[in-house]
Amino acid sequence: MNKAKIITKADLARINAIVSEYSQQKWAMIPLLQKIQSEFGYIPPQSIPLIARSLGLFPSQVQGVISFYAQLYTQPRGRKVVRVCRGTACHVRGGKTILKLVKQHLDIDEGETTPDLEYTLETVACIGVCALAPNIVVSDHVHGHMNPKKVDQLFKNQEGEK
Amino acid sequence: MENHCTIFVCQGTGCLSSGSEAVYEALKEEISRQGISHAEVDFTGCHGFCEQGPNVVIEPEGIFYTHVQAEDAPEIVTSHLRDGKPVERLFYHDPVTGEAIPNYAEINFYKKQQRIILRNCGQINPEKIEHYIDRGGYRALRKALLMTPDQVIEEIKKSGLRGRGGAGFPTGRKWEFCRNASGDKKYVICNADEGDPGAFMDRSILEADPHAVVEGLTIAGYAIGANEGYIYVRAEYPLAVKRVHTALEQAQQKGFLGKDILGSGFDFVVHVKEGAGAFVCGEETALMASIESRRGMPRPRPPFPAQSGLGGKPTNINNVKSLASIPIILDRGADWFASIGTEKSKGTAVFALTGKIANSGLVEVPMGTPLSTIIFDIGGGIPRGKRFKAVQTGGPSGGCIPARFLDSPVDYETLAQLGSIMGSGGMVVLDETTCIVDVAKYFLSFTQAESCGKCVPCRLGTKQMLEILTRISQGKGREEDMDTLLTIARTVKECSLCGLGQTCPNPVLTTLEYFRDEYETHIQEKRCPAAVCDALMISPCQHTCPVGINIPKYVAQIADGEYLEAVNTIRERNPFPAICGRICHHPCEGRCRRGELDEPVAIRALKRFAADWYFDHVNELAEPEPFPQTHSQKVAVVGAGPTGLSCAYFLAQTGYPVTVFEALPVGGGMLSVAIPDFRLPREVIENEINYIAKCGVEIKYNTPVNINFTIEDIRHSGFEAVFIAAGAQRSQNIGIPGELEDIEGFYYGLRFLRDVKVGKPIKIGRRIAVIGGGNVALDSSRTALRLGADEVSIFYRRSREEMPVTELEYDETLAEGVQVNFLASPTRIVSDDWKVTGLQCVHMKLGEPDASGRRRPIPIPGSEFLAPADTVIAAVGQAPDLSFLPRDSALERTRWERLAVDENRLATNVPGVFAGGDFVSGPGMVIEAIAAGRRGAIAIDKYLQGDTSRVEMYDLKPSVIVGEGLVPSQEEESWEQQFRPETPLLPLQERKGSFKEIELSFSEEKARQEAKRCLRCDLEK
Repeated sequence: MNKAKIITKADLARINAIVSEYSQQKWAMIPLLQKIQSEFGYIPPQSIPLIARSLGLFPSQVQGVISFYAQLYTQPRGRKVVRVCRGTACHVRGGKTILKLVKQHLDIDEGETTPDLEYTLETVACIGVCALAPNIVVSDHVHGHMNPKKVDQLFKNQEGEK
Repeated sequence: MENHCTIFVCQGTGCLSSGSEAVYEALKEEISRQGISHAEVDFTGCHGFCEQGPNVVIEPEGIFYTHVQAEDAPEIVTSHLRDGKPVERLFYHDPVTGEAIPNYAEINFYKKQQRIILRNCGQINPEKIEHYIDRGGYRALRKALLMTPDQVIEEIKKSGLRGRGGAGFPTGRKWEFCRNASGDKKYVICNADEGDPGAFMDRSILEADPHAVVEGLTIAGYAIGANEGYIYVRAEYPLAVKRVHTALEQAQQKGFLGKDILGSGFDFVVHVKEGAGAFVCGEETALMASIESRRGMPRPRPPFPAQSGLGGKPTNINNVKSLASIPIILDRGADWFASIGTEKSKGTAVFALTGKIANSGLVEVPMGTPLSTIIFDIGGGIPRGKRFKAVQTGGPSGGCIPARFLDSPVDYETLAQLGSIMGSGGMVVLDETTCIVDVAKYFLSFTQAESCGKCVPCRLGTKQMLEILTRISQGKGREEDMDTLLTIARTVKECSLCGLGQTCPNPVLTTLEYFRDEYETHIQEKRCPAAVCDALMISPCQHTCPVGINIPKYVAQIADGEYLEAVNTIRERNPFPAICGRICHHPCEGRCRRGELDEPVAIRALKRFAADWYFDHVNELAEPEPFPQTHSQKVAVVGAGPTGLSCAYFLAQTGYPVTVFEALPVGGGMLSVAIPDFRLPREVIENEINYIAKCGVEIKYNTPVNINFTIEDIRHSGFEAVFIAAGAQRSQNIGIPGELEDIEGFYYGLRFLRDVKVGKPIKIGRRIAVIGGGNVALDSSRTALRLGADEVSIFYRRSREEMPVTELEYDETLAEGVQVNFLASPTRIVSDDWKVTGLQCVHMKLGEPDASGRRRPIPIPGSEFLAPADTVIAAVGQAPDLSFLPRDSALERTRWERLAVDENRLATNVPGVFAGGDFVSGPGMVIEAIAAGRRGAIAIDKYLQGDTSRVEMYDLKPSVIVGEGLVPSQEEESWEQQFRPETPLLPLQERKGSFKEIELSFSEEKARQEAKRCLRCDLEK
């Protein structure tokens, strides 16, 4: 859906460096993937053969691990990831309505990214801040006790930070 | 010279999100600016009371501040630290009583807890190991290293500690298995993959007291003989990960980790691994696969991890809370720990109390504490005046426990017996606005998505169950669905490979067991009582309205200034917009989605506004035309109350010629006879009845049905169907000594109100005692005040929650000066010389909950008291009066002297004769009466057309939504008005001695603004 970002030579060199960093660690693949993702925002598919070679695995095995875990992504994501919590507490306290309002504000559906690559919208099963339900997380910042006015203000503030 | 004090600002994830970092900085700056030398600012981890955050504690006083913002810093420093006067407005306020409580030790939420596992949470800075050591930290490790590993295991076994991850396996024994396994290389793992939605105690512990877990893990390693430990934390907890890393570094520096710990010769090193978003990795074999960077799929056991785990080596896995318990058990002794809790469940349990609860947060109580204590005493009960429905424990592996088990003790065995599990400690409270079918569907959608897919029962079973639940929630449920669900659930439970599959059917099994009727309502009536399942409704408000008015449509029309269109929309389903706009008890507002988040849209007031606009402009508008008559069969209706007139109106709307026979000279039934003018002016009733008459309904007043003019006579004069809606106008007796009608000063409420309305002169005394708690009681009280009584007191045997009156009615009753005495039941009417002198009552208390969860009032012996009064008004209920029917009437009656009718079609045993409304069901609300009239009209239409199918009164979501009124775009400032406007009321002075209407209408501007607050739930896909 999103065009694959162009991976430069410098990017590949960086990926190689990360792979070497972890090459001596036991059971290192997931931390290695998480490190790449923390720097690039996602795991570039071009890095899979590199990783496979370094760990002595087939690319399909690396791909298999990536596809199993919901938080390992192989597509570029928006600059800001908006996660609407759909945990039990958030669900019974109006989380569905909050999700609807956020979808209206961003004009995208769950799992999608805005065309300008600014926002990706996701739902997450529980962020563990149940006492402040319903919650939204924007780029690792938790916003609790959401209501229509706060949703509106939240996105206005985000625009201000652009 | 002031003593040194520390200001602890909570920096747990919850408080951080509410702005506590800014509070921390502001306090530091302010203290330095003001030069306060005897105070310092520090931060703590999560107190577990996030809803009240940002939280600030001043030690050693123990003062607890809530909702602190950065702007409050100057006041705190100046007033409290410098001048010694704590800031009262920041104290915690009890959600029920409103009382301000300065010390956290006195706050019910904390007072009733026994914080052992949470002992340091909120009390120390988690990034300062010295704090942990000062409170006894690492003492247990020293002690353990001086014991042999076997001695350590014995101590843990003696304590009776059971795994706090959910399964409750005895921890000591688990360690023993691993210790006895052969092999030199062993591992210990801390499972911090707290994946249960609604659970956050592990997160809080890791953020607030990470050393407790590190120490516990190290001791576990020593006891088992493992030199390497892993802490597996889910990726959604970045702050917890950070704090754990910091703690490990500091522990290493102090020599509590690493080589030759404290000179004991024991080496131990800990690695941190982060999860990557897979709930199933909380299962031990999947977790170990994930640590090995493989796909997190469980495997069959045996071999158990104790024999073959990580890398094939013996491995012991424990939950965060189990490990956090180890240091204190060793420090204070196994006997001490075993003295807490019950016989089989020792120690305390930590719950994340969330959902529909006033005090949401972490609660730690001894095992065996009743659920009611946790939910009501500590949790503060259900907010917004809603009723408790169920409590869900154990996350997606657990079940829903209904009200009748509220007094059950919380421990492993009892919860399992009830069909749920203790689980990791998630406890979600559900109220009447939560749909139980939706809850089951919610959990299944979660577990189905998280199912790893390896074994067939789970992979296919969850999908099948989810499909069925989805169909039921969309109005496509079938009778056999419930049994099919049970069969699949049992198979998945018994045959799945791992704990996820084996427990995921529990929500389905418990909800079917305890709430089967709610499933049946969805399947048979296509109705969702909680108004949650979107496909079954145009909108929650519309669905909840007994007549199904298209509320979002008319609210949008008002927002657009189309008032005539709005009134027409209402009249499609309700011919009484001006009356309902004044006195309806608005169940719609109770389900408004806006109301879940801030305040419900003022639907009733908006209806009144539109109706009043119509009648104010009626002379400029076109006259209403009679409905076209498309059928020839004539229908008769007995009774021109709201049920009778509605039935007639809808029959006319369908094309039938209708005649209404009314005994009194005026129509309106209870509305005209019992509701005082200050709530419902008579002109309003007249206008609405005139409108209905203009629509083609013939009304014959002064025409009672009795021995001279029977139902049979009506049938024989050409009416092919008759609907009897004679209402419930007979007052019920209280049934106490002294209840004699001829005594001066004793009235039945209904009679009293009717006499006032028809203008009969009433001799009201000065001190009035009113018995009852419904509308008639409150109306009688307020009427008595207006007639000149000095003192009016209500005596009601139940409590406020059971009073079937709206908040507005109750508030205004109090405002006007009526005293209300709850839990006071009358026992005798005292009189002297045939004049009332007083009312003897006894105090009541609420007893055990019955099957529906309601607590019945029981008298407190010896608590009788006498309330002096010269007038007693009894308003304890009304009943239908069947005396107008002949003794030998063919119409069948029930045991309780009411007509027996079919619930769905309102048909009596005589073909062509139907009955409904208060006459059949006893006194109810006006909108229910109108709904009964509509049901009668639909039923009679079916009967006259020879259609034997059921009456169905539901509106599913249409597949094509015609855009009536746009969703406000981002440019429009429509979300600005956050709060709903106050109801405009006549000032109290103007109400004295007057029966003028006390509620005023919204202005046009206010009405349109309020209408824009609607979230247009009807426009959802």
